[in-house]
Amino acid sequence: MTNISTIANPLRVPRDVYRRYAIFGVCAVIVLTVGKDIIIDETDWARMGTLQEMVKTALWFLPELSFFPKTVGPLLETLLIALWGTVLAVVVSMPIAYLAARNITPIKWITYPLGRGLIVLSRSTHEIIFALIFVSALGLGPLPGILALATRSLGFLAKTTAEAIENANPGPIEAIQATGANPLMVFCFGIMPQIFPIFVGNVIFQLDINIRRASILGLVGGGGIGLMFAEVMQNLQYGRAGTIVVGITAMVVVGEFISNRVRVRLI
Amino acid sequence: MKKNVTLAYDSYRQDEVRSGLWKFVGLLIFIAFAFWTIDVLKIPIERVLSMFGRLGTMVSERLLPPEMAYAAQPKVVDSIIETIEMSILGAVIGTFITMPLAWFAAWNVTPSRLFLYPLSRAIIVVTRGMPTLMWAMVLVAIFGFGPFAGMLALVKATIGFAGKLMAEQIEAIDMRRVEAIRATGANELDVLFYAVIPQVWANWVGIIIYNWDAQLRNSTILGFVGAGGMGLYLREQISIIEYQTAMSIIVVIIVIVVLSEMASQFLRHRLY
Repeated sequence: MTNISTIANPLRVPRDVYRRYAIFGVCAVIVLTVGKDIIIDETDWARMGTLQEMVKTALWFLPELSFFPKTVGPLLETLLIALWGTVLAVVVSMPIAYLAARNITPIKWITYPLGRGLIVLSRSTHEIIFALIFVSALGLGPLPGILALATRSLGFLAKTTAEAIENANPGPIEAIQATGANPLMVFCFGIMPQIFPIFVGNVIFQLDINIRRASILGLVGGGGIGLMFAEVMQNLQYGRAGTIVVGITAMVVVGEFISNRVRVRLI
Repeated sequence: MKKNVTLAYDSYRQDEVRSGLWKFVGLLIFIAFAFWTIDVLKIPIERVLSMFGRLGTMVSERLLPPEMAYAAQPKVVDSIIETIEMSILGAVIGTFITMPLAWFAAWNVTPSRLFLYPLSRAIIVVTRGMPTLMWAMVLVAIFGFGPFAGMLALVKATIGFAGKLMAEQIEAIDMRRVEAIRATGANELDVLFYAVIPQVWANWVGIIIYNWDAQLRNSTILGFVGAGGMGLYLREQISIIEYQTAMSIIVVIIVIVVLSEMASQFLRHRLY
């Protein structure tokens, strides 16, 4: 009788095993080189000070509770910026989704790449960069913040809507077309009712993410709580900064909880 | 017969009128809310109206064309490489911290529902909620300027981002296999290695790659607060109003992000 441990596992082909080791090896080498670069070469350990000093600085960030009432106003402002950024994104994302859905795009070789390109541009650029461009064109305040949020989130909305349109049942669309409806009516009565639940779910998801995004826009002058954070950091009032971070975290967590609940209810 | 038709028509009309009324009220509330927002946020209306002209001149005269020669300078190229390195290291270290956390935070296989589960859930929820850029500012204040603070910020972002996804994957596993392994008298660690990880590993690798992609996106702007990477040069160029050179860095950021997204999609499809 053969010992069971000497039988080669038929699922473990030697070539696969070597390949796996090779992949692991390459990954390990990359990580080690990168780690050496960042932690040893680029970091000035001598200037960082002792562990005790670091702990002391960290303790300055303990929230200063008396400052909390003053953060409520800017937090609400942040919520409003997030809300209006999302509303604007919903409005603008509709035509872009129309262009970027393969089955209904008007001229396939011009408008389809155009719509896709806009989506990639919006999705791959950080909101801070949009905020910088808008702030330099329009001045400080919540307005560039709202616009930056809208441009940032319309890509996601347009992409998911376009995908939903591509997956929509062609039956109702053809039925509406057969009545002699124009493309806009087909969109409103043939496609929109089909994708509506998915669309609303995505909008709520985007609103939830936009609350998070809106809270940092102020760091570059986009209004909201970020402005206050930048101010207190500049004045080295670290306790207040800690309060603001706690406030934002609480707001975002509550927002995410509500958004999850609502989306579960919808689906 | 005719009476019935009239009745049906009347009730249809009534419904139409009622829904129309509700839509009208909704619209009114929306408009009132919009005006209230404009008032609260102090949005200058005259600036909104002249917005498109200003944006147009801004883009056509000051942003374009990007001066790509600036981004080809050795110091900028170094900072770009530093950004990518930071994202890799932050994602890797973050992943190693996230994996046990995800195990603790999965309700079905967590080793201790009373203590470890709420603790790890709280860690994941709080790290998700805290804005990464602000966390980076705090870390810069503690550890000083440089990519080390940025890397720690990315570790935090990874825990929040990947932790939730990985825990969700564990919660969706087939529990019969866990029971089978338990029936052999295995302890919690054995259950993890022989029942949980084999089931979630493929999805976890996908999450790990996706997370690296997300962290690369985050790392491009960490330099803004002095936490290492190319964001520093972006901020410098914008503060001295050199928009064309700043634009070259933005172009580099977009190219890197799109490339990494393609790479991550390619890897994820290859693995499945």
